[in-house]
Amino acid sequence: MIATFVLLVMLQVKVPDAAQAVGAPQGTPLSGPPLERRTMEIASEVRCPVCQGLAIGDSPSLMAANMKAEVREMLSRGYTEAQILSYFEKSYGQFVLLKPKFQGVNALVWILPMLILAIGFVIVVSKAKKLETAPVAPAAEPEVGEDSYLARVREMVEKQ
Amino acid sequence: MNRTVLIIGLLIVVAIVFVLFACLGKDPQHIESPLIGHPAPPFALKAVGTGETIDLQSLRGKPVVVNFWATWCVPCYEEHPTLVANARNLPDVQFVGVVFNDTEDKINRFLDERGKAYPTLLDANGKTAIAYGVGGVPETFFINPAGNIVAKFEGPLSTEQLQADLAKAMR
Repeated sequence: MIATFVLLVMLQVKVPDAAQAVGAPQGTPLSGPPLERRTMEIASEVRCPVCQGLAIGDSPSLMAANMKAEVREMLSRGYTEAQILSYFEKSYGQFVLLKPKFQGVNALVWILPMLILAIGFVIVVSKAKKLETAPVAPAAEPEVGEDSYLARVREMVEKQ
Repeated sequence: MNRTVLIIGLLIVVAIVFVLFACLGKDPQHIESPLIGHPAPPFALKAVGTGETIDLQSLRGKPVVVNFWATWCVPCYEEHPTLVANARNLPDVQFVGVVFNDTEDKINRFLDERGKAYPTLLDANGKTAIAYGVGGVPETFFINPAGNIVAKFEGPLSTEQLQADLAKAMR
């Protein structure tokens, strides 16, 4: 990461900085294995813009590699997960978040499955209650059926 | 009971058909840019060939067309003549090419073979592309004289499209 900064200074170039979009880092700078672990965790939450439903952590594309490097660099500078996700959201919109936010139309993604589950539960319970309260068929009825059946058999036997 | 099942089934079918009709024609790669109407992320990058540093801030006061492209992108070959021709015809508009995930050698060869009319900047690690929410190349951003992004176009530009988006930047 430091090498990248040095290289950019040597090249005398200024690239857009995350601080302009999400302010100063609010976390602790990471390095070593924790940095790699957190990079992979956050990379699994960011959608690769050139792939079909893949996270940048799973995509082999160059764009995803650049974005993953950005995640790593921001973590090494002390940016928090919320700041990193917010940075990508400011550029790409909510499209880039693999876990949609609970707001606007996106809320339906969270509400609908629970609503359908609740409706299903109510239907099952009401049906079960109906079965419990349904009047038990009179015991004689099958016998009536049986009798009529036997009567028909007898009739056929007699005819022969 | 059968009637209830029929109504629920019909509702589900209607909902599915509605979603299919509403979404099937859409491009899954299309990203609605949240940057439109907001200040363009600032950058100062080295121009390929000349080594001159071009600072976006210094271009304030005139419309700017920022075109993200790469030599490995086939549609970029298609739109390059359009950009070059318009850059030559519109001296009051500043065209800027930004190339990422590419090498200077390849860019120079491309420009030597296909012509150049405006600075091409090297975004070595794709940071500028990320700040602009670039999903793929080519992608073009139109910036008004006040420095705000007014339009974004994904894919190879035609002259008609370029002039339509540029008109928004000139208002």
